[in-house]
Amino acid sequence: MPEPKQIFEEYYDKLLDKAHDENMALGLSRSLKAFREGRALAMERFPHTVELAEEVRRLKEDCIGRMDELVEKATTILEENGAQVHYAKTGDDALKLIGEIVGSGKLLVSGKTLTGEEIGLRHYIEDLGNEYWETDCAQLIQQLRKEKPMHYVYPSLHIRREQVAEILTDLLAREIPPDIPTEIRAIREFLRSKYFKADFGISGCNVMAADTGTIFLLESEGNIRMSTTVPPVHIALVGIEKVVPTLHDAFNVAEVVWRYAGFTVPLYVSLISGPSGTADIECTLIHGSSGPVELHVIFLDNGRSTLAKDPVLKEALRCIKCGACLFECPIFELAAGYYGGHGYFGGLGAILTAYMGGGFDMAAPIAYTCLRCGRCTEICPQSIDLSKLMPELRHRIVNMAKR
Amino acid sequence: MKNIKLYTPPAFRIISTNIAKSGNPLGLKKSDYASWADGLQLPTKGKTILYTGCEYQMTAYIRPLAEVLKRVKFRDTLFSAFSGLQTVGGKIGVDLMRGYTRVASGERETYNRLVRMIALTLKRLGVDFAYLDGELYSGALLYEYGLFDELEEQAKRVVDQFKEAGVSRIIALTPHSAEVFQQVYPRFINNFDFEVVPYISIVAQGLNKLGTELSLPEPLTLTFHDPCHLARALKVTEEPRQVIRAITNLDFREVAFNRELTCCCGAPCETIFPELSELVASSRVEDLSATGAEVAATLCPFCYANLKRGVDLTGKKLRVADLIEIVYQALEVSNARA
Repeated sequence: MPEPKQIFEEYYDKLLDKAHDENMALGLSRSLKAFREGRALAMERFPHTVELAEEVRRLKEDCIGRMDELVEKATTILEENGAQVHYAKTGDDALKLIGEIVGSGKLLVSGKTLTGEEIGLRHYIEDLGNEYWETDCAQLIQQLRKEKPMHYVYPSLHIRREQVAEILTDLLAREIPPDIPTEIRAIREFLRSKYFKADFGISGCNVMAADTGTIFLLESEGNIRMSTTVPPVHIALVGIEKVVPTLHDAFNVAEVVWRYAGFTVPLYVSLISGPSGTADIECTLIHGSSGPVELHVIFLDNGRSTLAKDPVLKEALRCIKCGACLFECPIFELAAGYYGGHGYFGGLGAILTAYMGGGFDMAAPIAYTCLRCGRCTEICPQSIDLSKLMPELRHRIVNMAKR
Repeated sequence: MKNIKLYTPPAFRIISTNIAKSGNPLGLKKSDYASWADGLQLPTKGKTILYTGCEYQMTAYIRPLAEVLKRVKFRDTLFSAFSGLQTVGGKIGVDLMRGYTRVASGERETYNRLVRMIALTLKRLGVDFAYLDGELYSGALLYEYGLFDELEEQAKRVVDQFKEAGVSRIIALTPHSAEVFQQVYPRFINNFDFEVVPYISIVAQGLNKLGTELSLPEPLTLTFHDPCHLARALKVTEEPRQVIRAITNLDFREVAFNRELTCCCGAPCETIFPELSELVASSRVEDLSATGAEVAATLCPFCYANLKRGVDLTGKKLRVADLIEIVYQALEVSNARA
């Protein structure tokens, strides 16, 4: 393990290096412009979203204190629905659980999962001797570039079409021109060759309803649908802060997520409450109809309970990962997700990294990068007040430096 | 959770040691930070004080410190001996001292002049105030860094000083001190019941009451950079615009990101990640310059300094000013007429 000071230095060197990368600056500025326009349009067409966000803020605040109760409720109903439910206290526990389910020599397709990034799922499963494909276009681009994602919703927003063409030309061993529609068709063709052979489909969860055990998955590419429907086994990794009391609550959260993420209308929302089943023959329920035969739900704590007990920093658990804050961050504009940990970005990402994905040594330089300018809070649907939280996180870091 | 000893950057030791030893982050002596008040005959006790927090006065020294930090990077051992400006020894120490000496002869006056302009403007608008003898820094940076124990100690010293001088109302010169008094001190100090006002609010009211039409000697195109903490933490966005509108021959051009969506100047990370700070400054200068204005005015010494740095780095044709300079000049013109 590198020393905390070395982590600090390496982080900053990389951050500066990337902030000077002209390719990245161009990719980022194209993406930022498109995003701002998209979100403005989405909010203009659906102005009630602001009020709905306020409602969701109160809801999430309430849920942070009730995570255990909500997970328990969801577990009961999911088991009734025929799912196999597991509880992982740490990231390592989750990896071990999933590793045991998957084994080796298998093919996996995965929808984008932030919790998966948090625990390093893909690398772990690959190291067990499996083939693992990210199916979100951007996430696939990042996988092929051997890079971590750069944003929750737009993982490769810093990459230009010209760079994508090079990667795909390598992957498919034929010339792919730097033309966005051609690139997307090439990715589609590649992924479609994988879905129908895959043994397992992996997903995260945007929000879960405790009263029905329903996993909500938001997307526009259809890749999550394919990944969670076609393979015989679906494994869903769910952070315990994602569970809200009712199906109605979950719809509200989902709408706020997609709108603040810059989507006017969600192209696909998948609701999954168990493995596929049918009672069409003699009204006898059999699991495993056209869809998956098995659904494994892995609830992941990995520091969330500890964070929930912190009287101030627990506010960070309200985050619904729409990523709107990042588009307002002056540092993100320069360095994208290099300002962040494994899978969590920006100032808020420092808190999540400290508790959930990397530890305080990795979080410290991220925490001190935050300008505490407060611009993110202006746009955050959860009104997470980073300019108040950041000194608190730093105070905890300073105390750990003094001992 | 891993039980590890974490790392904090060198600036932390320098700044916290200086605050404990000399009352302000960069070890400024009274002759450095109080010279702006020479000849003004301000009382040292009173209900209302003008609180500078030494912030304008220390701004000139931050740039050379950042330059040294850039060179030593995170090599703490070389640097820990130089908390306090008086300490000399070793190459870096000498460089640092030379940097400060250079500052002392030039830049320093710019900032002292700004404080003096604020004081004179307030007086011109009929506001009476005292200036504390041996004024202490608020500790805003200690809050920023998460050094809460050190902040609590400093806050107690500051409040003792206020009480001794019979203070009940604080006119804060910088957004940082206003924020830390209003929003952080109550957490560390029981019954912190001082009234805290950002000075620009008083200037805005005063100009309104004055009712005189103000103008500059020459027409000017101007844009305004809202300091983050003024606009968002303190929610002061309209007062600066009232002030700007009070001057008739100013052609005011709003920058793309203004008021509560203002964009940071990069100063907050200058003592930790100085190169990154420069990139943020340059990016904000691009926004300000795109308005086509001749002057970008602001209301925070750190914004002022970092935007100037951004102008140097980008080579943009833009003059950075403190809004007080513009107001002061307009009042001078009106004085001359009267």
